Amino acid sequence: MNPTILRLSAQALLGRRRGVVLVLIPAVLLVLAVVVQALTDDAVGYDAVLHLGFTLALPLVALLAATAVLGPEVDDGSIVYLLSKPVSRHVIAASKYVVAWAATVVLGALPLLVAGLVLDTSDPRQAIAWGVGGAVAGTAYTALFLGLAAFTRHAVVIGLLFALLWEGVLGNVLDGIRWVAIGAWGREVATEISSKVPAQGIGLGYAVVAAALVTCGSLWFTGDRLRSFTLRGDE
Amino acid sequence: MTDPTSATPEGGSVIHDLGYRPYTGPRLGPAAIARALVITGFRNAFGLGRSGKSKVLPFILLALNLMPAVIVGGVMVFVGLDALPIGYAQYASTTQVLLGIFVASQAPVLFSRDLRHGTISLYLARPLPSSTYAIARWASLLGATLVFLLLPILVLYAVALLGELDVSDQTSDAAVAVGLALLLALSLTGLAGLIASWSTRRGFAVVATIALLLIGNGIVTAIQGISQQEGHARVGEVAGLFSPYSLYRGLMSIWTDNKTPTPPTGMPMQLAYVVVFIALSVACLGGLVWRYRRVATA
Repeated sequence: MNPTILRLSAQALLGRRRGVVLVLIPAVLLVLAVVVQALTDDAVGYDAVLHLGFTLALPLVALLAATAVLGPEVDDGSIVYLLSKPVSRHVIAASKYVVAWAATVVLGALPLLVAGLVLDTSDPRQAIAWGVGGAVAGTAYTALFLGLAAFTRHAVVIGLLFALLWEGVLGNVLDGIRWVAIGAWGREVATEISSKVPAQGIGLGYAVVAAALVTCGSLWFTGDRLRSFTLRGDE
Repeated sequence: MTDPTSATPEGGSVIHDLGYRPYTGPRLGPAAIARALVITGFRNAFGLGRSGKSKVLPFILLALNLMPAVIVGGVMVFVGLDALPIGYAQYASTTQVLLGIFVASQAPVLFSRDLRHGTISLYLARPLPSSTYAIARWASLLGATLVFLLLPILVLYAVALLGELDVSDQTSDAAVAVGLALLLALSLTGLAGLIASWSTRRGFAVVATIALLLIGNGIVTAIQGISQQEGHARVGEVAGLFSPYSLYRGLMSIWTDNKTPTPPTGMPMQLAYVVVFIALSVACLGGLVWRYRRVATA
């Protein structure tokens, strides 16, 4: 961890318009939760709102956070000034990851918990389950997207294809994708806390180990990519 | 004043006459510049005329978008179905994620790069008004989006005709789908273009567009589902006005046999769907023109 890199990354993350969108996504989710709660009885919209937050808002926040801490610097080439400092590339990767991870947990997973509490105050256990599941999925998502951002300029599009097409559209059709979908791992952890979250049937052990492997693997990969970084021009 | 394009006039005096022959051919006006801009923009949207790497992404997306249509075609041929398993209009709704990603990722190619690298001033130094530039870029993206939307319809239509399904039925269904695709392309192009021209960071523009399109659609879908469950279909119908995809679905369920939750009922509501759809596109185009006028005078 390097405090200067932490500070600079946090500035890049929350500075100007990017920060606004990053805050807008959870804000919209919470407004939706409040409106649905106000206009319906019982917990009618619970699943619909939490599903939206978990499958769309969470990956988008993670993607935005992960690409924000690395993408602009790679894009305008100013990352060479950072890489030329006598700081281990893995430390740089870890520092950037910590900032993006904190943003994902606060703006991606925490709103799930709050939305759950707003929609059904009688069952805080389920809300906590969604929050923890979101935090687990967010941890792996952020690491994966950070690795992508260090690997290719098209990190955003590839990340979107993974989160929305692979896990979303194809995941609905092909059940086997739950073994290789980060969202499903998060849900499995959530199921363990509250049985109201639909079970994925992949086992808690597998889910936790897979999420940890993806996180550590991607983090190491990010550091490795930064170690052998080559600057390319704009295409 | 002498014509700057003519050769040194007879007896005319110039300070330096280096003896070079000036260009005396026909000078093409703004219309020709705009046309060239539209065509290069359209090619650039698919990476043609750019580096090999930038061709990869649009063509992968296009291939992914066509894959279901080709698979459907294959199934039709081998199993011998007597109807297409997926409606022409339903196709775009099924592949909306891909469509959104394509539009969102290619809009910055057309709208952000000139602004970010300052090359916009080179365009505006020509006899080309900034509004024409904006409309030309918009038209390029519209063309690319239409190709993306219409190719699968064309594939499905060809398969249907080769499978000897009823020609008049298929033609009318396909025509409705083409009309819907045009409406969808108009609104998506406007939205994506506007966002890309405001935020010149490529990755950021892509995520912002996707967030607007898909989270907006997700919220509308959630509200529509809840309102149908609760028996207040009207709420869902009004909610449908707030996202291009839900507008598309609403009109699709009026004009075709594909039913979706809380379709617009009653003439005023159906009219509102069409009006909002078109107004959204016009407003976005207006916003683009205004944005580039600001850039030009800044």
